[in-house]
Amino acid sequence: MEGVGINGYLGVGAVLFVCGVVCMATKRNGIGVLMGVELVLNGANVNFVAFSRFGHLGLDGQVAALFVIVMAAAEAAVALAIVLSFYNNHLTVDVDRADELRG
Amino acid sequence: MCGETAVKPRFTHMPLEQYIYTGTVLKWLLGLAWLLPLVGFAIEIFGGAWGKRLDPVAGGRKLRLAGYLAVFCIGTGFLLSLTALVVWKGGTGVALMPTAEAVSHGDHAAPDGGEHGSDDHAVDHGEHAGHDGSGDKPQQATEGDARGQSPAAEAHGHGEADAHQEGGGHEAHANDPYAAAFSGTYYELARFGNLRLTIDYYIDGLTVLMFCMVTLIATCIHIFAIGYMSDELTEDYEDHFVHLSGGRHFHRPGRFYRFFAFMSLFCFSMLGLVIAGNIFQVFVFWELVGICSYLLIGFYVERHSASTAANKAFIMNRVGDFGFLIGLMILWTYFGTFQFANVSPAGSPDAANGPGLFQMVRDSRGDLQVEETADEQVVMLQGSGSADDTSSPRSIPYWLLVAAGVGIFGGCIGKSAQFPLQPWLPDAMEGPTPVSALVHSATMVAAGVYLAGRFYPMFTPEVLLVIAYVGCITLFIGATIAIVATDIKRVLAYSTISQLGYMMLALGVGGWAAGIYHLITHAFFKSLMFLCSGSVIHGCHHEQEMTRMGGLYKKMPITCGAMLVGVVAISGLAFWIPLAGLTGLSGFYSKDAIVASSLAFMAGNPNHFLLFLVPLVTAGITAFYMFRLWFMTFAGQPRDQHVYDHAHESPRVMTTPLIILSVFAVGCAWFGVLENWILTSEPAHVAAGLTSAYHVLLTMPSHHAIHAMHHTAGTAALIAAVTGALLSAVFYWKGLVDPESVRKPFAGVHHFLVEKWEFDNLYDVMFVRPVHVVASWCTAFDKYVLDGILHLLSRLTVATSAWDRKFDETVVDGLVNLLGNTTYGVGRSLQVVQTGRLRQYVMFIVVGVLGLFVLLIMFFPRA
Amino acid sequence: MGTALFTVFATVACGAALAVVLSQNVVRMAFYLVISLGSTAGLFFLLNADFVGATQLLIYVGGTVVLLVFGVMLTASGPFLTIKSSPGDLVQAGVVGGLFLGLVAFTVLQVDWEANAVKLERRYGATSLERPGYNQHGEGHTTRSLGAALLGARFDKDLGRHREQPSTGYLLPFEIVSIHLLVVLIGAAYLARAKRRVSPSRDA
Repeated sequence: MEGVGINGYLGVGAVLFVCGVVCMATKRNGIGVLMGVELVLNGANVNFVAFSRFGHLGLDGQVAALFVIVMAAAEAAVALAIVLSFYNNHLTVDVDRADELRG
Repeated sequence: MCGETAVKPRFTHMPLEQYIYTGTVLKWLLGLAWLLPLVGFAIEIFGGAWGKRLDPVAGGRKLRLAGYLAVFCIGTGFLLSLTALVVWKGGTGVALMPTAEAVSHGDHAAPDGGEHGSDDHAVDHGEHAGHDGSGDKPQQATEGDARGQSPAAEAHGHGEADAHQEGGGHEAHANDPYAAAFSGTYYELARFGNLRLTIDYYIDGLTVLMFCMVTLIATCIHIFAIGYMSDELTEDYEDHFVHLSGGRHFHRPGRFYRFFAFMSLFCFSMLGLVIAGNIFQVFVFWELVGICSYLLIGFYVERHSASTAANKAFIMNRVGDFGFLIGLMILWTYFGTFQFANVSPAGSPDAANGPGLFQMVRDSRGDLQVEETADEQVVMLQGSGSADDTSSPRSIPYWLLVAAGVGIFGGCIGKSAQFPLQPWLPDAMEGPTPVSALVHSATMVAAGVYLAGRFYPMFTPEVLLVIAYVGCITLFIGATIAIVATDIKRVLAYSTISQLGYMMLALGVGGWAAGIYHLITHAFFKSLMFLCSGSVIHGCHHEQEMTRMGGLYKKMPITCGAMLVGVVAISGLAFWIPLAGLTGLSGFYSKDAIVASSLAFMAGNPNHFLLFLVPLVTAGITAFYMFRLWFMTFAGQPRDQHVYDHAHESPRVMTTPLIILSVFAVGCAWFGVLENWILTSEPAHVAAGLTSAYHVLLTMPSHHAIHAMHHTAGTAALIAAVTGALLSAVFYWKGLVDPESVRKPFAGVHHFLVEKWEFDNLYDVMFVRPVHVVASWCTAFDKYVLDGILHLLSRLTVATSAWDRKFDETVVDGLVNLLGNTTYGVGRSLQVVQTGRLRQYVMFIVVGVLGLFVLLIMFFPRA
Repeated sequence: MGTALFTVFATVACGAALAVVLSQNVVRMAFYLVISLGSTAGLFFLLNADFVGATQLLIYVGGTVVLLVFGVMLTASGPFLTIKSSPGDLVQAGVVGGLFLGLVAFTVLQVDWEANAVKLERRYGATSLERPGYNQHGEGHTTRSLGAALLGARFDKDLGRHREQPSTGYLLPFEIVSIHLLVVLIGAAYLARAKRRVSPSRDA
């Protein structure tokens, strides 16, 4: 702990998280939405590792972060496949066009 | 061989082990004989109903397996009963034949029927011998009851017991009136407090005798029925007595198996009634006999007359059974047990059940212990109740004991067709003839007499007087109607009523043995005559009117001969045979005994002279109508050529039973065996008679007194019978006097008799029509009051439901609809939010999270 | 030194993330994302999580983002390269995002971490990484411990301590994740394959 406490890391995590959320909310490109998701997960990961470092849980936080990374990779693969499928069906990646679920 | 022997049989008192052994063997032998017909019934009814396996069709004719099975069951029962007889005789050492000892005491057994007077000496001698043997036991004169002598048999038996069984014998039975009896329990059904409902047995000489008689006669009747009922061995039986519209007759499948199933059940019921060891069990089997007779009388159920007759028989029996029930209630209330007598030796499990009815009401000498209390007479009960209830001696008011006796006898009136419940019996002729034979000889009507005999110790002199008068009236009514009846079976039916009256009369005037005696002999010759009539009816193709018969002796000689045997037996005729003296058929002896008893009774009670005169006159009438029947049927010229031409002798399966029964009808009373047998189970108080005790102004004749009258009575009865027979021959055989010419002046009387003393009309006016009137009142009440109430109620209900419907439709449905509509509307309005746009959803999530946090911070601020 | 590095990495990560949000070109977005993720990996190294940081670089930067770039290349044909969001959306999102950030920052700042740490230390003792008897360097930083943890053994918790029962490991989640990856593989392959069948004309 050389001056930077847990607050700093949590702040960075928060910024990454909010950026991810805003990215998801604003990008009309499906790939962009995926990137927002990656950012959100990354922000969470920062928190996990920070608590692992400053908390009393030992390596549990890091293990969780590892699992999140793995999940993110899997999610990216599936989501990308979905986006490609969507693209093949609609010839676009604009998520606003995917409104079949409208009530 | 004269039938009357005055020496009572004596029981060699056996060791306890032998007693128990004999009792056990008898129990199982008779129990098996009793249950076999039930097994037969079960197989026949289920096999017949389910598979028709019991009368399968072979070569176009159905086989008779059901009949063979029924015969097998009852026949095996007969063999078992015979075995039981041997065991019983060997075990108890009863002398059935007049023994050499008895002969040496008094040569009464000499074949000298005319010399009845010598019997008096025999009696005296026997009794003196008894006194000698019991020198250590001084005569005790019971209070107010001036007995002439102590019963010879008991005294003598006591002496023998002392002599032969020093110390180690069956001492408990030394002075016991129930020494030759065995009682116990097969199975205890239930126990309610003190009330034990059990299947008991009570076996003494009478039981064994009834078993042998019932099974023998039933076997003969079953064999006969195989031939008689062979009409039913077809899938398409045409009933000529059921007329349908269009002149056709009713067709139905034959019911061979059903007939034999019911017959087996009937035998089972009767045997159960005989072996029963308590009065409640008797009642159960009593009802079972009733239902069996109902089923069999109504066997041709499609005939209206048959079903009506069955109903009549059943309902009339119910009337009597009502009295029976009242008697049962009184007995249970005051005695606390239903058992007849508990003669189990001390130490056996059954001995703990306390004494039975007979033991409670009579002391060891058979006397009633009557005491005068402040306001009524009471009968003190012996050995009151159970062991733990010895605090105060129990007693029963005298009038209640009388009421119980009359009540039980009420049941006997119904079952034995006594006045005033006799009309059901002639109607019962609607059943097949074997049924009539069975009902009228060995089973149904015998049950009433049997019960009266079995329950004899419970009857006070007043009850006996009632019994005597009922029997007297019945026998006269039956005989007079029989004179004018023309249906062959109805003549026999009225004759049955009359003879049953004789039995009841005998029981009532103190001739217990005479009554039972007549029951047995009558069973033989009446079943014989019914089977003969069945044979005639079968041979004449269901022609029952005697006015269309005649001269049948050429066509059916065996039947004719057998019928003649029966007629002579029932008439009580006797013949002078050089070597044997005056010898009669069985009926002669029993009727003789009855008339002697009633004469002795009249001697003691001169104001009851009718009890002697009526049976004497009726003896003549009996001979008259029975010979009339025989002459009209078999003798003379054919009255209806058509019937005569088609008549034929019955097959051997039907005539063989006739011959067997003839043998018994002729000889069952010879050598005094039967009478000795009956005397073994005579209640202890009968032999000594009763001279008017202070509480009753009746004199019951003792054996001694009856014996003194024997000669006179026998002669009178024989003269009456011969007169009747000769008159009958004059009218119907020789035709010297035309019956029509006699009938003319007495047209009114004749009509009265043909109408059966107007009993049916009387009951119609007394009971049936009032019931109809009451029924119509009830109908009116139903129609106008009850229906009105019901209609009102239903209208109210309809109105209420209309309101209810409105409530349902508006309030309940409204609520449900409101709920549904609201949900639908909310969904509709929320539809707007559901844009399907991904990015908007993300925004919603974020805003939602924000909102949640804000709420959290607002409402749950950090402490 | 640590503070300076943290400042650099944090600034780069946050800036790149903002750039991702603000950039309208999807290819650039991908590039900024790589930078952001890489800087985060640096933060992980700063937090002594060497294995997680390496994994971040390998899988995220080297795998996932490459995957995304492939996706961009497969779909970014002409007009779709830049799909403009409406400014209204941007403003709306910016406001909500700012509020959200403020909320999170407020929440974080509310917590008194120092007091919390003292309380926790009183209860559980020193943090595992500072505990005597557990030589982090001897264990090769976190790699060996993580590997053991994924196989069910907790060196970081149990080593040098007497415990009645060993601490919980992660063998079962590890297996589940393995299966999960397999399923995802098959699913992705299926999805990618289905499109050809639906529109074979565009397959080429």
